[in-house]
Amino acid sequence: MSTSRKRSFGEWWFRKGRFGASHVLLVCVAVTTLLPFSWMVLASFKSLDEVQGLSPIPSEWHPENYTDVVNSKDISFKKYYFNSVFIAGWVTLLACFTSSLAAFAFARLEWPGRDHVFKLYLATMMIPGVVVMIPNYTLMVALGLLDSYIGLIVPAAFTAFGTFLLRQFMLTIPRSLDEAATIDGASAWRIYWDVILPLARPGLIVLAIFTFMGNYGSFFWPLVLIKSEHLRTLPIGMLYFDSMYGRQTNLIMAASVMCIVPLIILFIVMQRHLVKGIQLGAVKG
Amino acid sequence: MRSKRTAVITALCFLLPNFLGFCVFTVGPVVFSLTAAFSNWNLMKTVPLQFVGLGNFVKLFTEHEFWLYSINTVYLMMGMPIAIAASLFLAILLGQKLRGIVVYRTLFYLPSFTAGVALLILWKALYNPDFGPINVIIETVLGWLHVSSVDAPTWLSSTKNVLSLGVEKVGLVAGQFGLGARDAIIMMGIWTAAGGGNMLLYLAGISNIPQELYEAASIDGAGKWAQFRHVTWPQLAPTTFFIVIMSFIGGLQGGFEQARVMTMGGPAGTTTTLSYYIYTKAFEEFQIGYASAVAWVLFTVIFVVTLVNWRFGSQYVNE
Amino acid sequence: MKYIFVGAFCAMAVLSVVAWWWQPSQRDDGRLEIVWVSDDNPVRREQIDLFNELYPQYRLRLDPQNSGMEKVIVQCLAGVGPDVFDCYSGFQLASFVRSGIARDCAEDLAARDIDIDAVWPALRPLVVHEGRAYGHPDNAHAPALWYNKRVFDAAGEPYPTGGWTWAEFIEVAKRLTVEDERGRLAQFGLMMGYGDWLDILVAQWGCDIYTPEGTRCTLDSAEAGAAVQFYQDLIYKHGVTPSPVQESAMASAGGWGSGIIALFGADKAAMAIGGRWWLCLLRNPDFGKLPLGAVELPHGPTDRVFGGGRSTLVNAKSKNIEGALTFLEYMHGPAWNNLINRQADALSPVMKYNYTEEFLFNPEHPEEDYNAVWRTAMENSIPRPVSPYVHGQRVDRILAKQADLVRAELKSGAEAMRDAAREINEAIIEMLEIDPVLRERYYEAVAKGAPAAWDRPEDAP
Repeated sequence: MSTSRKRSFGEWWFRKGRFGASHVLLVCVAVTTLLPFSWMVLASFKSLDEVQGLSPIPSEWHPENYTDVVNSKDISFKKYYFNSVFIAGWVTLLACFTSSLAAFAFARLEWPGRDHVFKLYLATMMIPGVVVMIPNYTLMVALGLLDSYIGLIVPAAFTAFGTFLLRQFMLTIPRSLDEAATIDGASAWRIYWDVILPLARPGLIVLAIFTFMGNYGSFFWPLVLIKSEHLRTLPIGMLYFDSMYGRQTNLIMAASVMCIVPLIILFIVMQRHLVKGIQLGAVKG
Repeated sequence: MRSKRTAVITALCFLLPNFLGFCVFTVGPVVFSLTAAFSNWNLMKTVPLQFVGLGNFVKLFTEHEFWLYSINTVYLMMGMPIAIAASLFLAILLGQKLRGIVVYRTLFYLPSFTAGVALLILWKALYNPDFGPINVIIETVLGWLHVSSVDAPTWLSSTKNVLSLGVEKVGLVAGQFGLGARDAIIMMGIWTAAGGGNMLLYLAGISNIPQELYEAASIDGAGKWAQFRHVTWPQLAPTTFFIVIMSFIGGLQGGFEQARVMTMGGPAGTTTTLSYYIYTKAFEEFQIGYASAVAWVLFTVIFVVTLVNWRFGSQYVNE
Repeated sequence: MKYIFVGAFCAMAVLSVVAWWWQPSQRDDGRLEIVWVSDDNPVRREQIDLFNELYPQYRLRLDPQNSGMEKVIVQCLAGVGPDVFDCYSGFQLASFVRSGIARDCAEDLAARDIDIDAVWPALRPLVVHEGRAYGHPDNAHAPALWYNKRVFDAAGEPYPTGGWTWAEFIEVAKRLTVEDERGRLAQFGLMMGYGDWLDILVAQWGCDIYTPEGTRCTLDSAEAGAAVQFYQDLIYKHGVTPSPVQESAMASAGGWGSGIIALFGADKAAMAIGGRWWLCLLRNPDFGKLPLGAVELPHGPTDRVFGGGRSTLVNAKSKNIEGALTFLEYMHGPAWNNLINRQADALSPVMKYNYTEEFLFNPEHPEEDYNAVWRTAMENSIPRPVSPYVHGQRVDRILAKQADLVRAELKSGAEAMRDAAREINEAIIEMLEIDPVLRERYYEAVAKGAPAAWDRPEDAP
């Protein structure tokens, strides 16, 4: 008798109860995830006294918090946005271009020492960034590139990760295409430019997204390199904004919202590629 | 027919831009910092440059700050297993065929994707001991329960911690039990990472498990929990292996952004991890030689830990 | 695909042009720029505007985000440094000189009739290193006691008149420490500025922090221990000043200047130990026309006080030496000195300007009848002791850590000072091991009889 009751509970669970429980759990987790974000958005519309109070929803809405941040004399938010996008853009372009060239050399061309050099690339990927940043900084000091766009862009553009990722991609492209092109008399550059590059597009998109995202939010390198206010990137600008105006939580939250919104938009647009990319990158690694 | 020489030149042309940058900005610096670690260089010319051999290493091992900060680094990694378990749990939750599951997946990934200085500043405001919503809620609840002897934790300005670690010397100290800055950072870290890349990896891993295994298990009379233990978990072993290794590597190097943005190294140095220590030594005091030595010690630790994980994990995965 | 590359490259090229065009210009109004690295005290605005008015061929600009001794040194060495920068202690001055970025201005000052001996004696170590001058002091500071007349009136207490001991002080402060309805302490008798208290009490109890040559830290003496213990007792035994937990519970704020000032201004304390520079913030109408008074500090075993200030030095690698030296000239003249006194950015560096009627009575703030108190404090001050053999910032960190532990009642005063002295002496030994030049000078001093930082011969560097 008892077993049949247990089984029917189990069956109910299997058929219906489980979904209900799952829904509840999903909603709970979703709420936990969203709570800080929603607090941030709501706080950005409150007045200073209200931010420090108990009520979640502002009694009056203050969209001028946003204009106050953008028009602030000490913090040129627009410049910081521009700098972040500018620097991330250049780094992404350089990284994608040079990495794809190098990946082609590793994946398709035969030359002595190729595999040893590639192992060197792999080995450096495990070294913590901070080991490398210290000498890079002293190099920038010696070259007088401290506090310059070039100093921010060039060292960040050459990581082994891009070459590694794209090489993995290129290895999956069937060689028959290469051979067909060679028979048609194509040089190595033609093969690269016309055959491989278009086919490596998924990999390039993933690399581009990750590189752009990583450099948009890059913190350590701009922190140590930048001295002048007009060169600051968004993370550094936010840091100084918080240290100067930290008391005014509502303004800080407005600034944070403005920082995060582009990321959210980018994410929603690029979602498919990203998810695939992470899974691919890990599986092949 | 192309000669070997042409092949090499062609390869060089393709390789050169990236390889040159790689040498100048990665390989060169690695060699350079290894050399610098054996010198007393301080970038400010206030002290004559000298080769000091193992002097930096001896100094860092005998200074108790290094050990304190190592403990901080390891302490902050305590949230790692919780985060990984949470990712697995969320992946299982998301693996079901329910309506709108993709929306949930997007949502859960949001904290990880938007992670950065803006989120750290948000959490700093959330943890404010007087006005932050976290303490406001705690105090309200304590008020309902009429509990007046307990105060809400002061989070980022408190040196207390769950392990009762002391502040100045390595060891346990009574009275230090509580929730403090390090715990606040751990909790924030779990929130950020639970729905992140690891969850996606587990999702991919789960979707690769053949259904037949589950069917066979249920025919054998296994319930849901037993199925998890005997089918899901072992099948996910390679994914878990990868995640654990990457988490260790990341965890040992981490804690810098949190420390710099939220606590500046924490009340009395309690949120200073090794990477923050290296930062202050290298970029605030410009003790390049000493900082390089600490950085290399960190690298060695990461290397050894990864090797150990690899050896130990491979055995486990292959069983 | 390839078109995406080409297109992206063109887009980035366009953005590069925008970036180049959007840079701030060096001298678009025909004036030569002088960059000054200092803090972001709101009064700098007026100080800079006045300079630009008096010297139309220059444009002085503030860079508030790059202060910090090491940063200034490295940036100057890298060629991206300012023209003039601030210096906060004798140790910093020595470091700037040794790294080669501080310009020896002794002759330049003489050529412009700037007499360094006309400044307050306590400021000399900030500017003069081994007999040569490298810049000019900006202001002079010595602590005294602020009191809030409103709070005294509410409690029915007579205003303090000075000449009192700490014991008398504690009695008054106790009467002014009040609880609110929830039983929490809402108003304290006293607030003490965060870093100041250690200096003030240690000075009054007669300890000099180091031996006269700076070769050994003497904080492990009974006097220093007693001084720090006294502070701990103020918090936990007499209950007249808040503990860290109580202080944060009173909702302190961030921004420039200590939260203590904001709390004092919000009537959370009856008295506070601070400097005349507090007026920069307290004059703010947010504090509602605070009725203030000032009086000398209560006496400990002695009534010594450490004075200090800030100085500005010239970057040896500056491309605008003339402009930098003109700035020094400006700081020696009446415009700057009277401005400092008016703004209450502590006191003017050149002594004679503190003995004028203008100093005692400021028509914009007639209620400030206590300026003579600050002058007297400055007259009684001696330079804060500094050791050339240890890194000043490291000493500050060690002291701050011990101070934290004392404030949190995790250690007694004597214990904390003993540990601080031990750590500072260890730091001295470390410094000597790294630096052969310093080591030589140190051994010379020791040979002449100065006490060494180590107790056992085997610890010697």
